[in-house]
Amino acid sequence: MRGVLSIVRVSLRQAVGGKRIIALGLVGLIPAIVMWLASQHLTERAAFQRFHEAPMPILFLMVLPICALVIGSGAMGDERRDGTLSFLLLRPIPRWMIVAAKFFAAWLAATGIVALSGIAASVALGARSGDYGTIGPVVISVAISTAAYVAVFMLLGHLTSRAVLIGLVYVFIWESSITFAAPALANASLFRIGLTAYASMVAVPSDFDEVLGNLAPGTWGAVAKAVGITGLAVWALASMLRRRDTVSE
Amino acid sequence: MTTSPAVVADATVEVNEVSKWFGQKVAVSDVSCSFGPGITGLLGPNGAGKTTLLRMICGLLRPSDGTVSIFGIDPRRDPGVYSRAALVPEEDAVYPFLTARQFVAYAADLAGAPRASVDESITLVDLQAAADRPISGFSKGMRQRAKVAAALVTTPDVLILDEPLNGTDPVQRAHLIGIFRRMADSGKTVIVSSHVLAEVERMADRVLAVVDGRLAAAGDITAIRHAMADIPYRVRIEVDEPRRMAALLLETDIVSSVTVAGVILHVETSDLGALGVRVPRIAKDVDARLTAFEPEDESLESVFRYLVRRR
Repeated sequence: MRGVLSIVRVSLRQAVGGKRIIALGLVGLIPAIVMWLASQHLTERAAFQRFHEAPMPILFLMVLPICALVIGSGAMGDERRDGTLSFLLLRPIPRWMIVAAKFFAAWLAATGIVALSGIAASVALGARSGDYGTIGPVVISVAISTAAYVAVFMLLGHLTSRAVLIGLVYVFIWESSITFAAPALANASLFRIGLTAYASMVAVPSDFDEVLGNLAPGTWGAVAKAVGITGLAVWALASMLRRRDTVSE
Repeated sequence: MTTSPAVVADATVEVNEVSKWFGQKVAVSDVSCSFGPGITGLLGPNGAGKTTLLRMICGLLRPSDGTVSIFGIDPRRDPGVYSRAALVPEEDAVYPFLTARQFVAYAADLAGAPRASVDESITLVDLQAAADRPISGFSKGMRQRAKVAAALVTTPDVLILDEPLNGTDPVQRAHLIGIFRRMADSGKTVIVSSHVLAEVERMADRVLAVVDGRLAAAGDITAIRHAMADIPYRVRIEVDEPRRMAALLLETDIVSSVTVAGVILHVETSDLGALGVRVPRIAKDVDARLTAFEPEDESLESVFRYLVRRR
């Protein structure tokens, strides 16, 4: 257990170290700034409406995937790039536990940054409308979607050194374009997993349905999906580390 | 029944008919050997397949063919074996944002080793003064010592070192060699790869020479040299009548060539023992003063050159 906790601790430092945290922190400020600027002179109801038109889509379609992509793909990718993968793997700890610890650290780091971003936007809404009720649902839904994203991007980061590029294509082509054009594909959209949980906790405006696609709101279904994706990714990655070469030629 | 010199009786690490290929490139080809207590040097030029072999032994690479075991266990199947085996890889493999002490403590935590052993390991590699500085500011030699400390903190029974002396200065080198020797003397299995022949010669009790992914020779240095009976021995003779000595030596049937360089003769012979008897006699006959008679190629350097040339 001490070993696993140490992996989490060191991986957290690795995930948010250096200039990365500053860059992601700046990206995280965008929803709050947009909310603050776009809700001036609005009524409480209009501010609530505006919150779901701009800051929320920015949070879930930009801040969350970018943070999850950078941190998730780096979880194993940084170890591979820095040559520390051998240091980590040649330990008397089952590979799945190493992968799970790496995932947990990456999820914690990404959720922390994105949740703070969401909280800041919710606080901006509260300052305009007096309604701070979105804070809790935002944090929970961010945590759910981040888990799914980080799991997928961690796997991608292990498979290719071009994970960020591929991830960006996925986020901005698939998630932001194709799944909007074809609502039937909304099920295959990771950011919507968290949003279905959010929509079950907050009385969202009717036009928020466009963002949700054809998905029904529900917290436990979203949690189950995120857990399933995470479990699958951890299992796949641990299997690869056990069966395939873990260092290149 | 003959036993291969590549195999030891009290093996802790066994490599059986192992091959590794990457696409069309064969990195290691049908290597069988074993390692036991003491220091075994894995010798070969860069690209010979040493690192690939060590990575397969550790379980980082999966053999394309054959099997590898440490204490009878396939490391890819049971990570529990890593509580008794440690690798110091050739690449940096350090976390630059950690201090040396944190890095060694991390290794201790991962192996379930007591935290008390962290300071011991740091002291052992003489890194106390820099222990609380981030590794990012370390020289190559200091990083090497930090990696060795991280490996030693787990008190492994099998220590695998891939080019461990790279970047170290002569004092550090002597210090690290001393550590490896003490481990070997206490019954641990130490496997050291190097392309620097003098390093292996200073450290190893036994040598496995790898050339082009194949095991080219095995045994102690002298045994390897004796196994190469098909090439002449080179002997350096210092004498005050070099030309007369050279002429008489060439008349014998055991000398194939003589080169004169001042008072030094470089002699090639097929029978070192017979030459050792003949030379003093000839020197006495011509009233020459013999001041040196030294085999030139008992070093690993010459053995290695021969092995590379032969392939």
